[in-house]
Order: sequence, then structure tokens, then C-alpha cells
Amino acid sequence: METSPSDPTPLKRLLRSLNTGSLGVTTGFAFAAALLLSPIFELTFSVLLGRTLFVALLLLLVFSFAQRWPAQRLPAWLPRWLFTLVAVSLAAPLGTLLVYLAAVGGRAQEFFGSGPRLTGFFIITITALLLGLLIALTAQVREREAHARTLELQVQLQQSRLAKQDVDAQLALLQAQIEPHFLFNTLANVQALVETNSPSAAPVLRSLLAYLRAAMPRLQRGESTLGDEVGLVRAYLELMQMRMPDRLQFSVDVDAALLDRPFPAMALLTLVENAVRHGIDPSVTGGQIDVGGRTRAKGAQLWVQDSGIGLSEKADTGTGLRNLRSRLQAFFGADAHLDMLEATPQGLRAEITVPTWP
Amino acid sequence: MSTTALIADDEPLLREHLQRQLALLWPELQVVAQARNGHEAIECFDAHGPDIAFLDVHMPGLNGVEVARAIDGRARVVFVTAYDQYAVQAFEQGAVDYLVKPIDPERLALTVQRLRRPQPQPQPQPADPRLAPLLDELSQRLRQQAPARQHLQWIRASVGQSVRLIPVHEVVYLRSDEKYTLVAWPGGEALIRKTIRELIDELDPDRFVQIHRSVIVALPHILHVIRGHNETADVHLRGRPEVLPVSRSFVHLFRQM
Repeated sequence: METSPSDPTPLKRLLRSLNTGSLGVTTGFAFAAALLLSPIFELTFSVLLGRTLFVALLLLLVFSFAQRWPAQRLPAWLPRWLFTLVAVSLAAPLGTLLVYLAAVGGRAQEFFGSGPRLTGFFIITITALLLGLLIALTAQVREREAHARTLELQVQLQQSRLAKQDVDAQLALLQAQIEPHFLFNTLANVQALVETNSPSAAPVLRSLLAYLRAAMPRLQRGESTLGDEVGLVRAYLELMQMRMPDRLQFSVDVDAALLDRPFPAMALLTLVENAVRHGIDPSVTGGQIDVGGRTRAKGAQLWVQDSGIGLSEKADTGTGLRNLRSRLQAFFGADAHLDMLEATPQGLRAEITVPTWP
Repeated sequence: MSTTALIADDEPLLREHLQRQLALLWPELQVVAQARNGHEAIECFDAHGPDIAFLDVHMPGLNGVEVARAIDGRARVVFVTAYDQYAVQAFEQGAVDYLVKPIDPERLALTVQRLRRPQPQPQPQPADPRLAPLLDELSQRLRQQAPARQHLQWIRASVGQSVRLIPVHEVVYLRSDEKYTLVAWPGGEALIRKTIRELIDELDPDRFVQIHRSVIVALPHILHVIRGHNETADVHLRGRPEVLPVSRSFVHLFRQM
């Protein structure tokens, strides 16, 4: 199918497609046909074999050509298998005719006037038709099976490559929970507070410790609750507000009744970090982050809304956010949602829908 | 006339702290302005023309590297950065003075010592030719604090009253539907205005393939491909009932992968 008439070497490619397998099969069948027919023919075996061999190889060439005929140039109503069979059926009598005309040196009346020659022509033609069509059909079925297998293999290959990327991303998440850039910038602020004997040094250090304790994967033990997560989010937002007091305001308002519910660690924090990194931090004027949670019929709805610059269609929010939905579904079941919405007048709203509590 | 300086950092505590540290080590230095972002830094520079500029590399608006480029040698620049291996590497290779936050007083004393040394040439120094590409690259990386990819990461779609952002890694397939394009993902379906033709150029080709004039599918969501009549095929999806058509002209895509 890759061959087209405009191709610089269509003939070369066609010849390359005639591999030893197909040539062997063709030669074998031509030999068998000659053996089978030799009792009926008055010709010597080698002449007969020459004729069957010529016809068989011509049919193989026509078959390969038809199989490689560009799909775009095939009319929509004509399936390729039919196209190939028609081509092979036409080639069988024409090829045989060619052989017989060559045998009589091109003098047509000598061929048509000779009874035995006409009989020979018909016998070879019919044999070629039967064998040719049978082999062509078999080859097509086998090629189709091989093709289907290749398609499967290629899809599987690509899928396993993407699956590996997912695993890599999850490993990266486990290894780098705390960004050094965040940690050292925060520590620089703590140093500034401590060196000036600021009364806010102690509460800021407490927030930093609360954040570190929760964000170090190895220090997490047991099941965490939404209350723990809200504490972590508050600690993080307090640290960020200390660092950018003129650019970040925030509120945290989660129903008290929800706080003792089990909740996957870092799930809300991932959304808040995302709001800071993609919404507030790149903005010269900054904005507001509101974290909320309300009881719903059976479960709850939680949200993180910022009034920052919003998310561009090409913004890469990293693996944390990418894995969040599957973590939520693993924890709360397939009906758990994570929806990202544009906030009005600007910014981003991330909503977690908890269908029921586990 | 005393030496003047500008401090630019988006974090106020750090600006104040650097100013206090400098006051202890170099009492004659006059900090004439503090800037909260890159644009302000350039305004302050133009207004005061300080001799030295301490520039935080990570600032909103313009980053520190971009500000340094605007200053263009008219002041001596000291970059300030929190832990960032790449920035430190770039500065070291470019022989630029830099400070790492939290700032170590002894390290700052060394910088002050260098700055107090009289300049061999008072006019703007010609920029080190090795430095420009390094800083370009660093600036590029800083821009990626809000990293942007070459390919679409989110698809913006109106659903009811709200505008939803659908992550492309969840999209199963896209199919054109007269004027609109239908986006299907596990959370639902939505119509968007972008055409299949526009989308195929913007989506990651490692993940998305066009299999029909009006259909794009995400490879990880393909369960299997079944070859049909006449060089066409059908794509069956994981956990979804839809069957998507592969037209003749796209069957070869699977072969070439």
C-alpha cells in the first residue's frame, strides 16, 4: 500500500516484496502442475514446466502488484480482495496465451488453427485459474491475520510506553513531595523573623513544622482525616501569606461535621499548591484563595477557588494534579469527581465531589 | 558621593532583611529603592540610577534575569536565588555574583568586599559573550515556574453555565459533529468550537492519533483495533461502548507507529 505510481522506484519495491517464501510456493505449485499435466501433454516435461512456471510467476507478480495498489486509487465500491481476484483471473488466460503465442513465434493463425495447442491452452488456463485463485485467497487471509496482529502489537507497544510514563510520574511524586525552592525560601523568611526577634517567628515555625510533618511521606502514619488535611492546607497558606502578605489573602471554611472523616493525604493541598503556583505567584497583583467544604446528601463537596491569572490551555500543572483524580477514585469509589472550572471574574475553581464516605 | 543600591524581591521580609544585613556590613551603602516585582525594579532603576542592583531571580511580571538584561550593564548586578541548582550553575559558569537564600552573612560579606573594590572601568562593561546564552536559558527556565508545554494540556469547554477545563490526558476521543467537536472523557461529554483539524496540530502526537477525517482518539484508551472490509478498521475502547471508525487513509498510521 505504500507504493504509488509516483514513487521513484515502484518496480524495485514490487520486486522486493517477492520474498523467497512466495517465490518458493509459486515455483512448487508450478512444478506440481507440470507433473500433474505431463501425462496429458505431448510436450517434453521441461517445456511444459517452462510454461507453467512462466504463468505462475506472472500470476505472483500480478497478485503482488494488486495487493500493493494504493488504497486511495481503489474505487470505494471495489474491495481489495475482489480487485486482486479479478486481476489474477484475468492474468491466468492472458499469461497462458502469451506463452503459446511465444511458442509459435507470434504467428497467431498457427496457434488458433492447431487443435492440440488450443486444448493445451485451455488446460493450462483452467489449472492456473484454479490454483492461482486458491493461493491468492489463502495468501490474503494470512496477510490479513498478520496485519491484524501487527496493529494489535503496535497499539500494545504504545500503550505500555504510556503506562511506563505514568509509573515514572508517580515515582517522581513520591520522591519530591517538598520542593527545595519552597523550603529554602520559607526558611529565608523564618531567618529574617528570628534575627529581628519578631513575635511572629514562633507561629511561623509552627506552621512550617506542621507542613513538613504532613508533607514528608515517610512521616505519615495511619489514616488521615479531612481535619488533618485542612490543618495542612492552613499551615501552607499561612506560610505563603507570611511570604507574600501584599499578594495573598485566603479563607478556609469547611463544615466542622466533616473534619473527622477519612480523607486521602495531600489531596486538598495539591489543589491549593496549584492555585498558588499557577494562579497567584505569577500575578503581580496576587489574589484570594478560598478553601471550602460542605456536607451534601450522602457525601460532600470540597473546593479550592483562586482569583489569580487562571490556567492557560498549555499550562503543565504537573503529575500531582494528574494523579489526584485516580487517588480520589481509589479512595472514594468511581463516582468521585475532580472538576476544574473557570472562576468568575477570573481564576480557577477546583471541585472535589465525594459521593459517599467510605 | 556614597554608593547606591536597589533591592528587588517579591517577598517583603526578605527585602527588609537584606537591607538590614547590608546596613551592618556596609553602613555607607545607601539603599535608594525596594521593588516588589520585575516591572517595579526597572521603574526604580530608571528613577534612581543606582550603582548596584540586588535582583531576586524569581519574581512575578519580569524575572530577575530579564531585569538584568534591561539594566544592560548600567549597574553591577548581584542575583539572589533560593535553592535552584540550575541558576547557581549558570551564575558560576558566567562568573556572575549571586547569593543563595537564606543568605549567609559571611557570603554576603564577600560580595560586599568585591563590590567595594573600585571598578576597573566605570563605564558599562561589555557583556561576557558566554553569559548571554546562559542567562537566556535560565530566563526560559524561570518562565517555566508556570510551565507551558508545546502541546495542549487542557481543553476549555462550556458545560451549562460554567466553563470547564478538561485535562487532555483524560480525553478518550474527539469527534466532529457538524459545527462543533464533541470531546469525550470519563467525566462526560462536551462540545467545543475547535475543529478536528485545529486540534490535531495542538495535541501531543505521542498520545493522540487521527483515525478518520472527523475522529481523533487517545491511544491509551484503545482496547483493540479490528480490521474491517476494504482497508478500514474499527477501534474499540476500554470500558466504553462506542466503536470508532478508522478510514482507509488512516489505517497506515497504525502500521508506521
